[in-house]
Amino acid sequence: MSGLPLYILLCSGEHERVQMAAMMASVGAVSERAVEVFVSMNALSVFAKEAPAEGRYRGGPFSRLLNEKRVPDALGLLRQAKELGDLKLWACSMALDVQGLEMDGLVDGLFDGPLGLTKFLSDAESGQMVVL
Amino acid sequence: MSERIKVDARGAFCPGPLMELIAALKLVEVGDEVEVWSSDKGSATDIPEWVKKVRHELVGIEPRDAYWSIVVRKAK
Repeated sequence: MSGLPLYILLCSGEHERVQMAAMMASVGAVSERAVEVFVSMNALSVFAKEAPAEGRYRGGPFSRLLNEKRVPDALGLLRQAKELGDLKLWACSMALDVQGLEMDGLVDGLFDGPLGLTKFLSDAESGQMVVL
Repeated sequence: MSERIKVDARGAFCPGPLMELIAALKLVEVGDEVEVWSSDKGSATDIPEWVKKVRHELVGIEPRDAYWSIVVRKAK
């Protein structure tokens, strides 16, 4: 890996922010940077196996455009980035507990496991952090 | 004998064309070339920047009718 590791703390479940997190994570991971994404708060629901009835992604006016155009799907981008680069996704253990979710309630093939914020912050000291 | 494969990513938005290029590069041998067609305006700067960063080789980039043709040689 040639660049500073990138740590993305994704809290928002807003489509636009989830999309930007997926874009940053995927481009970073295929550009020889180690990337870790910590998914917490409202963002966790976006990754739930059972998507809400009104759709997985909810957001503002730009979200509608993302849905209308041929924009890469956020979860699809993350899957592709895991295949092509060094990307790890962690589910916030607090958010799992609060929502009463287990790891098998999250979409398959994306997460590397549950993780606590303390460990994530400690690891992130070695890199660059972005909060979305 | 090196080969060139073509990836038509026209209509895909950022970072779709880059990801399609990278997926194609995984499949070819060192020395082979991938020609990606992209209508995403950012690709004209983003793909050359990525090629430089990961040390492949930019063979050529040229504007066509409403899209860019970018040729990359797999260097490693």
